[in-house]
Amino acid sequence: MSKFLKAFLFVSLVFAPFAASAVTVASWGGAYTESQQKAYADTYSDPGSIVFENYNGGLGEVRAQVESGNVTWDLVDVLPSDAITGCDEGLFEDISSEIASMGVPGPDGESIAEDMEANGLNYHSGWDCCVPQIFWTYVVFYDPDAFPGEKPDSMADFFDVEKFPGKRGIHTWADGIIQKALVADGVAPNAVPTVFANQTGAIDRAFEVMDKIKDHVVFWSAGSQPLELVKSGEVVMAVAYNGRVGAANLAEGENFEYIWEGQVLDQEYLCLTTGSPNREAALDFMMHASSPESQAEQAKYITYGPMRASGIPIIEANEPWGPGGVDIMPHMPNTPERLKVSIVNDPQWWSDNGAEISERYSAWMGN
Amino acid sequence: MEDCISTSALLTTDGVPLKQSLKKAERKNKLRAFLLVFPLLLFIIVTFVMPIGDMLFRSVDDSQINGVFPNTFNEYKKWDKEKDVLPPEEVYKALFEELAYGEKIQIGRALTRMNYSKSGWKSLIKTTSRQIKKAVKKDELPNNYKEFLISANEKWADPTFWYAMGQMVNNTTPIYYWNALDRTYDQDQNVVMQDEKRRIYIKTWIKTLKISVYVTIFCLILGFPVAHLLANLPLRYSNLLMIFVLLPFWTSLLVRTTAWIVMLQQNGVINGILVWLGILSDDGRLQLVYNETGTLIAMTQILLPFMILPLYSVMRVIPKSHMRAAQNLGAKPATAFWRVYLPQTIPGMSAGGLLVFVLAIGYFITPELVGGKDGKLIGHWIAYHLKTTLNWGLCAALGAILLGVMLIFYWLYNKIVGIDNIKLG
Repeated sequence: MSKFLKAFLFVSLVFAPFAASAVTVASWGGAYTESQQKAYADTYSDPGSIVFENYNGGLGEVRAQVESGNVTWDLVDVLPSDAITGCDEGLFEDISSEIASMGVPGPDGESIAEDMEANGLNYHSGWDCCVPQIFWTYVVFYDPDAFPGEKPDSMADFFDVEKFPGKRGIHTWADGIIQKALVADGVAPNAVPTVFANQTGAIDRAFEVMDKIKDHVVFWSAGSQPLELVKSGEVVMAVAYNGRVGAANLAEGENFEYIWEGQVLDQEYLCLTTGSPNREAALDFMMHASSPESQAEQAKYITYGPMRASGIPIIEANEPWGPGGVDIMPHMPNTPERLKVSIVNDPQWWSDNGAEISERYSAWMGN
Repeated sequence: MEDCISTSALLTTDGVPLKQSLKKAERKNKLRAFLLVFPLLLFIIVTFVMPIGDMLFRSVDDSQINGVFPNTFNEYKKWDKEKDVLPPEEVYKALFEELAYGEKIQIGRALTRMNYSKSGWKSLIKTTSRQIKKAVKKDELPNNYKEFLISANEKWADPTFWYAMGQMVNNTTPIYYWNALDRTYDQDQNVVMQDEKRRIYIKTWIKTLKISVYVTIFCLILGFPVAHLLANLPLRYSNLLMIFVLLPFWTSLLVRTTAWIVMLQQNGVINGILVWLGILSDDGRLQLVYNETGTLIAMTQILLPFMILPLYSVMRVIPKSHMRAAQNLGAKPATAFWRVYLPQTIPGMSAGGLLVFVLAIGYFITPELVGGKDGKLIGHWIAYHLKTTLNWGLCAALGAILLGVMLIFYWLYNKIVGIDNIKLG
């Protein structure tokens, strides 16, 4: 055996344990993961021990890892419906007692759960395995230059192609838009989830509203597309992730306007994979990432709102919080007055009905 | 002497019959040959046979949930739907007990599966479970389980949930295949069409086949002249041309797809030029992307090299003298091309055609990005169920059907052209 090979083997044997102890976090990539890197990992006591890996959402890979016993992701960044399913199926470990004992309390001693409830959320089983991160939202935005006269400012305007002619950009899946459709039809935004859950025919009603704009829609499937569509003039208004619109306004000098009414607020969680090889380190990092300070810090780098209510006062007290001395609060989706006109997504209902509705939505798109 | 040869076997020098000795030597060789191919065999089994076998198994497997609710399903099978609107007390009791004492995680996995049969199972069982646990904790077992469950959640009095349960009471089930073809069961386990508003799979299957065939045909039409040119130009020109073919081939798929979006969108390059030339009015811009047209155009361009390269390598070795000889013997150029040249390119066309078709039928990223409202293929649904709904049974059934379709085309191809006739160069 050559000396080189021996030396290599020796070095890898010595360093292997250190390399393996890095906590791997699977997240969505792009500007979002970058903001997590800056707000959570760089502020952590041992930044080098956190490694981010990109994935495309969903529980497919997590289930494959847990079923095969070959777990490489310690933490996974997931949507609330996946947090619920993953927790129910045992893909994520039940750490409710650790969250209660180790979670960083807010300034007045609020627990993580109390903080989330203060933000208008209700308990679901995802809370047992996961810690909260950010609120993101499906928001409608437009370029004010496209409307020289009156500007649209409600969901009714979005669904009215006679008053505001031009195409609309909509995503190719159902959850954001079918809830907005009910708002356009006169349902109070806060009541939309209950109407869907309790009124038979509510889904039909939403599809009828959507029929009105169907011939004026361009469908997008990747988060960057709506920005391109509006910028190029392909559409006059589009539904988009608010973080993307915020980044365009703050970093790229765009001047897009939001229509906050009928925005669909959704949650984002960080969950511990069952059988995580670095369980203790991962738990410690989870608690750091879910502290009010970390969550407020993240808003500096991307305009998603802290899911812990006690994160908001930190931002408010320290404005201008954004990079280069800009105020962040105008771009935050979950300020008290915006919460009044928002739909808060009900993940439990969607994990019950999501598959059926998405098949129906596809059939609607294709016809 | 003759007698002696016919009755006693030939012996080697050490007294062993020759036949036996030969067999022994051969066995050694056979073993050595087997050991040589064994790693390859193992590789094929592990990476090819086992995953496909696993997929086929998953497409009919329903044993997980049967392990969670064995008694409930047993009692369920005794329920006479003609006689009673709701299942008998025993079913409610078995369900109550299996929810109360079952393993939480196994129940969680079963819930995901139950929700495929009818939306709403998940929260129904979860809310009920909480009440059951409370009752068991307080040691207050109900006298009437049916009443208890119905008072816990009125949906337990809704027979449609119970009808849906009929899909899962056996260890193996064909339901995923039926779902993949827009069909489901009615209350008596007869196969019926899915609710009209949810019928998407048959449509998507037809669209997938249609687009794959179109892409193959367009690739052939576009690729044939290019390959011919490449094969017949002097080397220094053809090398340059070859770079034009290979450059996009080496470029990232995402870059090429995004470039097509820029080209084709309503305010994009192509529409811009057409409006500038006055062919289109400003309001009459064509919708070339985010629909089926976009998928077709982008996929054709992306798969074109897979047609050109095998065609080129076959055309390059066709002697030029054949065409000259045919014309010398009195054939017009068209006839010579049709009767002499074209038949010799069939191996290349078959190889390219099969390659493009196979790649097209399972294509995912490009249709996903440019497909918009109606340009998505079956791969979209496989990915959706794999990641979002976790309905791996339906995924496996869709995959198995895709495999079946491929095998049918392969068989057809073998009948019509012959598989020996394929050539990559």
